[in-house]
Amino acid sequence: MTKRLLEFRNATAIAGVGYTPFTKNSGASTLTLACRAVLAALADAGLTADDVDGLATHRVGDSAPPTLVGPALGLTDLSWHLDQFGGGSVSHAVVGQAALAVATGMAETVVCYRAINARSEFRMGGTGRGLPVSPEVQYQAPYGYVAPPQQYAMYARAHMLRYGTTAEHFGTLAVTQRANAAKNPRALMRSPITLDDYLASRWIAEPFRLLDCCLETDGACAVVVTTAERARELRRPPVLISAAAWGGGQSHLSGGDPTVTAAAGLAPRLYAQAGLGPEDVDVAEIYDCFTYSVIVQLEDYGFCPKGEGGPYVASGATALDGPLPVNTHGGFLSEGYVHGVNHIAEAVSQLRGEAGDRQVPGAEVALSTAQPGYILPATSALILRRA
Amino acid sequence: MTVHRPEPDRDSREWWERVARGEFTVQRCAGCGADRFPARAFCPACRSEEWEWRAVPPEGRVESWIVSHQPFVPGLATPYVVVLVRLAAVPDGLVHGNWRGGREPRGGERVHGVFRRVDADLTLVDWGPAG
Repeated sequence: MTKRLLEFRNATAIAGVGYTPFTKNSGASTLTLACRAVLAALADAGLTADDVDGLATHRVGDSAPPTLVGPALGLTDLSWHLDQFGGGSVSHAVVGQAALAVATGMAETVVCYRAINARSEFRMGGTGRGLPVSPEVQYQAPYGYVAPPQQYAMYARAHMLRYGTTAEHFGTLAVTQRANAAKNPRALMRSPITLDDYLASRWIAEPFRLLDCCLETDGACAVVVTTAERARELRRPPVLISAAAWGGGQSHLSGGDPTVTAAAGLAPRLYAQAGLGPEDVDVAEIYDCFTYSVIVQLEDYGFCPKGEGGPYVASGATALDGPLPVNTHGGFLSEGYVHGVNHIAEAVSQLRGEAGDRQVPGAEVALSTAQPGYILPATSALILRRA
Repeated sequence: MTVHRPEPDRDSREWWERVARGEFTVQRCAGCGADRFPARAFCPACRSEEWEWRAVPPEGRVESWIVSHQPFVPGLATPYVVVLVRLAAVPDGLVHGNWRGGREPRGGERVHGVFRRVDADLTLVDWGPAG
């Protein structure tokens, strides 16, 4: 690792997090949601909009860009912004790029946000919106293969065929994350479920049932990125960005091994940057658009050998009292779906020791990950630690 | 049956035209001889831009499949099966299609392509058990 990359380790921090409520119909524009979340994150940090010189988001043509949000908050001379095209693959890259901007001095205080009306306006499930812009869609859409639950179900089945992963493995994740959500006042779905409830839920795209799928949600979430030095002077305990990595390239739509994701290539770079390994991670907030995406990432981030993600989950390892609590907020499956940013915000809450009934005692190091590289062949991740 | 009509790009238009004539093709790189799918101008192995179409038997093995129940495509009757096939001609090539088996697919089973003429302008490739 280069000296300059070593200097990036722990040079920047997340100093604040902010949310709007998660609902099925926000009744507000994505611009309004973005402004609310940005202001909430700044208030959490003890800052105001006047302190902001950078804004960043990711979106798929479905939300307000920084060039709208900035002026709406009276910010007419930003020194850095980023409008990243992409879905969940790039959520953590946005924060990583903000950290780069802060580390180089291009900006001092960047707010990264995602505002989404994924239930009431732009559903990801395919109905009511155009098909994604990718030349590979032409080989799939004519066969009725258009929506993320179908695509992920295809890869999940490949994993089941190759490694013997079962519905009970998927279901254990759904049950465990719901139990976490029951301890999270912000979560949309808080009623406990059993494995039988999971197995009885209706088919969406076999092998996926309803309870394998995330909640399409209206809401926004934001985090404030600044230098570690400055974060120490602010209102909240700073959470250091120990590593930020993004990359990828292997398309699963036209080749490759469907049971391995871009995370397998990224993980060694990420851990090396932080100077840590999977054994150092106290809590993991893992992109869970579907149950299977957690299982494959537990393997690709090195928490268990390839093919053993299902038994690892079934052992209780990812429960709140297990060796690796995963998605302590309930995740997309039960808290809500803000395209990756709510996973980062939950990691921050855990490292500050502010997660209430769902707090992982003594959590010092957190991993948070993006969509691992199916559909869009890229991924991103952060390792955060308590200062 | 309601279908999303494919929108060929400038790399793939001829591939679809050949499918409409009942021909299943992959591209063979003139630089290194590697076969590839789907249609692209550059060989990812040697970066040559020289290539030719190569007609191959539409054969492969079942990599995975789904049974889609949710009405993601308005007007398309559910449930239906979409199968992911690893091509025999291009081991790194995966192709999607509807299943014409009369039963669910089996992991790893050998399959062959079945041309489905939707209308005068569109032909698709489905898959069923080989032999």
